[in-house]
Amino acid sequence: MSSPEHEKSSPPPGGATSPYRRKAILSFSIFGVFFVFYMGTAVLQTPTFSTLAAIQWFGMPLGLLLSLLIFPVSWALIAIYFRLGR
Amino acid sequence: MMSYPLVLAFIVFFVAVTIVVTWLTQKYTKSTSDFYVAGKKVPWVQTGIAMVGSYLSAASFLGCAGDISIFGVDRIWLSIGFFGGYMAVLMLIAGPLRNVGSYTVADALHRRFPDRRIKLVVMITTVVISTFYLVPQMLGAGLLFEMLMGWDFVTVTAALGVLMSLYIIFGGMKATIYNQLIQAMFLFFAMTFITVFGFIMYYSGSLDALLGAMANIVPPGICGKDAAAVAAVQSAVSPAAAVSVSREMLPAAPSALTIGIQTPDLVSQISTVVALVFGTAGLPHILIMFYTVRSASAARKSVTLCIVGLGIFYLCTILLGFILMPQVYPQLVTWIAAGKQGLAKNMAVLQISGKVGGQWLMAVSAAGAVAAILSTSAGLMITVASTISHDFYKSYINPNASERQEVNIAKVTTLVMSVISVVLAVAVKGENVAWLVTLAFGIAASAIFPAMVTTLWWKGLTRQGAIAGMVTGLVVSVLFIVLLLSGVRTFLGLPTAGGPGVFGVTASFIVLLIVSYRTDDRGPEVEEFFALAHKDEEVK
Repeated sequence: MSSPEHEKSSPPPGGATSPYRRKAILSFSIFGVFFVFYMGTAVLQTPTFSTLAAIQWFGMPLGLLLSLLIFPVSWALIAIYFRLGR
Repeated sequence: MMSYPLVLAFIVFFVAVTIVVTWLTQKYTKSTSDFYVAGKKVPWVQTGIAMVGSYLSAASFLGCAGDISIFGVDRIWLSIGFFGGYMAVLMLIAGPLRNVGSYTVADALHRRFPDRRIKLVVMITTVVISTFYLVPQMLGAGLLFEMLMGWDFVTVTAALGVLMSLYIIFGGMKATIYNQLIQAMFLFFAMTFITVFGFIMYYSGSLDALLGAMANIVPPGICGKDAAAVAAVQSAVSPAAAVSVSREMLPAAPSALTIGIQTPDLVSQISTVVALVFGTAGLPHILIMFYTVRSASAARKSVTLCIVGLGIFYLCTILLGFILMPQVYPQLVTWIAAGKQGLAKNMAVLQISGKVGGQWLMAVSAAGAVAAILSTSAGLMITVASTISHDFYKSYINPNASERQEVNIAKVTTLVMSVISVVLAVAVKGENVAWLVTLAFGIAASAIFPAMVTTLWWKGLTRQGAIAGMVTGLVVSVLFIVLLLSGVRTFLGLPTAGGPGVFGVTASFIVLLIVSYRTDDRGPEVEEFFALAHKDEEVK
């Protein structure tokens, strides 16, 4: 594939260990929260845990409720990510 | 049955509009920067909407709700996973990638490891992913015209493959940001309109009523396999009566809320959701949209708009899958009983659009789906064609190739890809398009994501580790997919039903780590690379 010309950027003065570490902690922590919630809910929605997933919460099965909550939880995590990343 | 001249006319009109927009836009494209990223001049709102358009293909629009309408709650994970994949891209990939000035996976890896073997491996992986991604587009188009026009599936799919190749070869049409914008608005409008009005029309806006109906209904995927139940459904006077009679015939059958109809075990579920959440980062056509805005602040706003838009869209697909199941029940059961699995799994959304909004809404939905198919297919074919002609032909076979020769190779590649994807689409015509896209995600998650995330975040990654990880991920994922589509249920005791995700990703990471620890080429300027990738952004 043809490569577009790379924009020339020089590294910031004074080293970059601190920004790198800070961003790594922020990115992987918030993604980790999302991933645990996402995978945990996916595991709940399997035959192995179907009895637990079928418990009624707020008028719907727990597994379905948590699955749908992935969307607003993700939006909240993104808001936190952007806020803390400034 | 639909009045298809109206639908066909609207599809042709819509495609013509996108061609005109592309032609007009390309007249003002002067540089590769303009071409790839619209010169970074586009307002953040337009970019955010275009990001939605670049992500949504026919698989999202037709396949997600379609699969839920056949099998029930197990299939909501396709919608959730397609959305979740964006989280990994946003938090782990997009920022550092943008900072190093790379628009593509190959560029980013090559920036840290200036070795053309890296580009060769990424090229091969991109071709494989693109081919697997192209197959469901061809399948969706073939099924759509089979349903609307009554044409033979094989004939129409082959004809579409030829037309698509000609469309690309003679136009070089790459989906521009404006096409993505138009497409996003059409698909988003159609999906939300059908969902909201369907919910109000059939359930008076009551979630309790909808869940109550789902707790009772026998999924069409189950009912369609029982001849007596099928006969009873086909004799019913209404969809509601058909749903009731199927439950009477199959009192012990699972409902649409029963877990396990399509998710046989824990490992298969994990494999599927891992592929979805990590696969987005490896898709060739996704990352580039992050660079169409002028600043990091504008990029944040665009991404926020995109994530909210995608979330609403995929929530609607889940709701719509449940809403439409009872309303088109007799048609779905009939298709399944007749062996037309592909139509049943993929065309339910168009069926319900006709019921909710009549011919016009069906025409809008069909046109949006066709536009999505065309732009996704064009993008994939052009990506592969230029990769083969430039990164492979010119680099390895004929270094003195002229531009004309490269263009000819690109055109031949386009034709070959069309043929391959049409043949494979015919072979898998009974599959759901969103599920097939998930398999492509599995390859991307296995072959690209581990190398990509470690390139950007781990100084200990070596060139040899990156190459070994990508090759391992590619081989394992393709092997599992071939076995799955061939009907082989297990391999070395591992289930294939969930796709290759967890196996390919795990194998890739393990090999990447082991080889990196045993080698020492971490890239010539790794500290500078990391300083650049993780520099603080200016706040504007």
